[in-house]
Amino acid sequence: MSTSSRPFAWRAEAILALVLIIAPFVLPLIGGSADTLSRILIWGLFGLGFDLIFGFTGLLSFGQSVFYGSGGFIASYLLVSQSVGNVFVALVIGMAGAAVIGLVIGLLALRRSGIYFAMITVAFGEMFFFLENSALYPWTGGENGLPNVPKPRLFGFIFDSPWSLYGLLAVLFFIGYVIARRIVASPFGHVLTAIRDNPLRARAVGHDIQRYKLAVFVVAAAYAGISGGLEATLQGYMSPEAFTFETSGQLVIQTVIGGAGTLLGPLVGAALWLYLRNELQSALGLGAAWKLVLGVVFVVLIVFLRRGIIGGVSDLWTRFRPVPAAPPAPLYANPIATPTAPPTRHRQMPTDGIAIEAKGVGKRYGGIVANDGIDFAVRAGEIRGLIGPNGAGKSTFFKMLTGEVQPSAGKIFMFGEEITGLDVTAVCQKGIAKSYQINQLFQKLTVRRNLMISALSRTRGPFRLDLMANVDRMRELNADVTETLRLLDLTARADTPVSELAYGEKRRIEIGLALGTDPAILLLDEPLAGMSPSERADTVKLLRQIAVGRTLVVVEHDMDALFNMADRITVLQEGRVLAEGTPAEIQASQAVQDAYLGGIRAP
Amino acid sequence: MLNWGNFVSQLFNGLVSGALLALISAGLTIVYGTLGVLNLAHGALFMLGGYAGFVAYQATGNFLIAVVVGTLFVGLVGVVFERAIVRFFYDRPEEDQILVTFGAGIVLVELVRWGFGSLSQMVPAPAFGSPIINLGFVIYPQYRLIAFGIVVVALAALYLLLYRTRLGMVVRAGIEDAPMVDMLGINIQRTFMLVFGIGAMAAGFAGIINAPIIAITPNVGDDILIQCFVVVVIGGVGSFPGAVIGGIVAGEIMSITSMFNPSYSAVMLYAVMTLVLITRPQGLFGTR
Amino acid sequence: MSLLEVDRINSFYGDSHILFDVSLRVEQGEVIALLGRNGAGKSTTLNTLIGLVAAQSGSIRLDGQEVRGAKPHVVARAGMQLVPEERRIFGSLNVEENLVLAGLTAKPAWPIERAWEMFPRLKERRASRGTDLSGGEQQMLAIARALVREPKLLLLDEPFEGLAPIIVRDLLGVCQRLAAAGQTIIIVEQNVAAALSIASRAYILNNGHVVFDGTSAELKQTPAILSRHLGV
Repeated sequence: MSTSSRPFAWRAEAILALVLIIAPFVLPLIGGSADTLSRILIWGLFGLGFDLIFGFTGLLSFGQSVFYGSGGFIASYLLVSQSVGNVFVALVIGMAGAAVIGLVIGLLALRRSGIYFAMITVAFGEMFFFLENSALYPWTGGENGLPNVPKPRLFGFIFDSPWSLYGLLAVLFFIGYVIARRIVASPFGHVLTAIRDNPLRARAVGHDIQRYKLAVFVVAAAYAGISGGLEATLQGYMSPEAFTFETSGQLVIQTVIGGAGTLLGPLVGAALWLYLRNELQSALGLGAAWKLVLGVVFVVLIVFLRRGIIGGVSDLWTRFRPVPAAPPAPLYANPIATPTAPPTRHRQMPTDGIAIEAKGVGKRYGGIVANDGIDFAVRAGEIRGLIGPNGAGKSTFFKMLTGEVQPSAGKIFMFGEEITGLDVTAVCQKGIAKSYQINQLFQKLTVRRNLMISALSRTRGPFRLDLMANVDRMRELNADVTETLRLLDLTARADTPVSELAYGEKRRIEIGLALGTDPAILLLDEPLAGMSPSERADTVKLLRQIAVGRTLVVVEHDMDALFNMADRITVLQEGRVLAEGTPAEIQASQAVQDAYLGGIRAP
Repeated sequence: MLNWGNFVSQLFNGLVSGALLALISAGLTIVYGTLGVLNLAHGALFMLGGYAGFVAYQATGNFLIAVVVGTLFVGLVGVVFERAIVRFFYDRPEEDQILVTFGAGIVLVELVRWGFGSLSQMVPAPAFGSPIINLGFVIYPQYRLIAFGIVVVALAALYLLLYRTRLGMVVRAGIEDAPMVDMLGINIQRTFMLVFGIGAMAAGFAGIINAPIIAITPNVGDDILIQCFVVVVIGGVGSFPGAVIGGIVAGEIMSITSMFNPSYSAVMLYAVMTLVLITRPQGLFGTR
Repeated sequence: MSLLEVDRINSFYGDSHILFDVSLRVEQGEVIALLGRNGAGKSTTLNTLIGLVAAQSGSIRLDGQEVRGAKPHVVARAGMQLVPEERRIFGSLNVEENLVLAGLTAKPAWPIERAWEMFPRLKERRASRGTDLSGGEQQMLAIARALVREPKLLLLDEPFEGLAPIIVRDLLGVCQRLAAAGQTIIIVEQNVAAALSIASRAYILNNGHVVFDGTSAELKQTPAILSRHLGV
């Protein structure tokens, strides 16, 4: 939720602390017992981890019960069998155990995404429920669970009164919240939001998204594990209910109702759920229909208020708060000025020689030949145009250069080093980036955050577990982003969500995302697509500036623009190179004219 | 030491439950294939069929009427659900579709619990003579055989609908390329509604047919839903033959495993599903 | 009144502005070629006419009836049929089923014998599944499927793309026979010669704008126009 670029703000933590301290005094007046509040906190803690994977990374898991139950039973078993005396130690071991199980299941489940991922998590949830009930029942007590789980003890003080337990849980929840906030504000956390928004682009700008997903999945499992243990010590009994699908489902419902992606959403949702179940049933005469009410609320929220209670409140707040009028920035009102100094370059790359080269590159799809025997070499610093009639194989060739598609034949080199077979993330890390024909942006993030995502892969490589760092404190990164903003003439729009931008501005960010990885070689797929004549002129200007010190390969259908800009042109036809030369040479070539006109002479 | 009578009995049980599962899963997979929506309320529709039939049976004492009412009522609920809610989610992210159908399923279950309570209800099996049949080496409940027969007929009817009628042709084309069907002058939105209704009816029909075998409770559809996932995954999304074969296979896996260790039967199923999802997510016959 | 009157339509993909105030008109019985490079907006124009893409402004009148913003099935029932660039025949259905499906909601629908008459090759393959057909056969099926509905206006999107010259010749013959029989056609083609051999008039699109509106004769006489807008 922290999308501001201010230094790490403590406001939310302070408010939370205040609420936690006041609650015991205020809530009992409307019928809240210490036990209910404690359980809300446990669900809130459970939900912190879930919100990280669901709200921030977009992974909808219906199987968090696996980790909740595992952590709980490991801790409970250790305590009940008296292998471990200290409750806190047992809780930590339970958490660690849950994390390990999270790693194993994550490795299997995260191979798929979307509905398939959700189904795999359901399957594991059910498997663990049955394991607990039968195979492992000597340790788990089967359907009876494990009774006599002791209360926590610290320096001689036993937490056995309801309010002391509440106090302990409040502290633990607070700590859990602070940690989660740090994770969200970290570079790691920012990459997560990119994965949720556009996993394809996150990979293409150089992030190894599978490792990020696995890491956050393990973190969520840890949160779940310790929550399960806390429930056991709170009620003195580890219940097999922890492993049921209902537990996983309740977590999902609470998070959506409270608001995903807010960290506190699960807490709010749990408050509503438990309050309705325990306190209001009798008060409102709802009886057993409390769950029906919640179900209806859930459906209504998904249909109308997808961001849940906190999201809805936050939206209302922004609507009524006076917003400083951002300059409307009509398209290209500020024509892109020539920079006074060349852009900062971090990547050390040779300034001459052959920047990118394809030798005998081909691609077959079954019987269809998309590309065949392409030899293609671009000198460092050159602007190369790539053209060809429909079906010539330009996009397939481009995809092979970026590693999105693997060639069936031939080799690809970058500054003499072979890069054939590398995937898109590795190729980006090497220094080749592409801007897409159809915008592939991180729609929910601001302009600044979008550019940050690219820059983060340059400074941190494909994966780094920097959960506690603060992205706002990374000077070099922020300086780079500011510079890119200036180059793209988007400084005034830096903190606007991308979805609110005009088309021409979005196109610029599209180029900016590729540029932010500081590529030595920039591939541009129809950068002028869908633009008005004045927008084209300005974009060409921008491309000329970007080309300084870089190698560009541009696919375009706007011949006027391309021929004015490019040093050399390569023409593809039916998957092969038809011609290559200077713009003048290509224009003079009869073979090229024929290819485009389909032979004006009769077939 | 294998008890043959027991073995055959279990084999047949697997066939019966497998056929039922095939029918329910066929409904789920057709909807998923055509509309692209995985209906997590499908289990609830199965449950609803049982209760609607139960109410009809209480009122009339006639099992046939109960079956008709159960099926049609659930079909209607399905259509209303599609028109009122689901169709607004075709363009929304997958996760939202999962969540809204999940929520709707809960609402249906809780509505039924509110109206009928949590205790199980019995719909007595229609008696056509002796309630059991003596096959020589095994004694088998007569209704199960009848139910099997009925389900096979229903599956055949569904097959005919899909492969021998014009509507079925439209549905199959729609599974492949819905916008192209629209371009050929067929209102694809109306087709979606019909498909959802058919899928719901399959679940509802199965619900009332199954009621004499397993007592109905508001939560009777929960396990069925998850088992349907398994079938759809194994058989392939949008594939009717896949649902049938997957259903039989799933039924047999559960039955045979339960002979050796009853509590492992479901686990076996989920393990197989996970394996398929990881190695061949499009299933045996799926194309997505 | 022209059969098709398109007045200043603007089309977008998302917020990418593809067509800028495009206007064109087609008379009953005419064959019009729509030419231009990739990305010029030719396919977008056809997709907008049929309703796959909603034009944000302007008007599209077919036989006097306004169809801008209508869903494709409404436009199809009004009498327009599109043969898409990717053909999009139903692979899981056989040839005959593809044709029967097309005719389901057509008021005057072709009896299937007429389709066999026009495309004897398809009759031979009537029981083959769509996926088993060759490229040329699929294209034939796609065209036959559109014709079953006796459209007032037939839109062909790159019908000759990716096909061997001999098949192109056969299909061209089919198109010529259709034109001779009075079928109104808009054909989008990169193979300019083939397109101009059946079209009497042509529009050229460039970057989403109409840059030429004239007769095929003009284009053949002044090759500079084509080089300017289609060449390099």
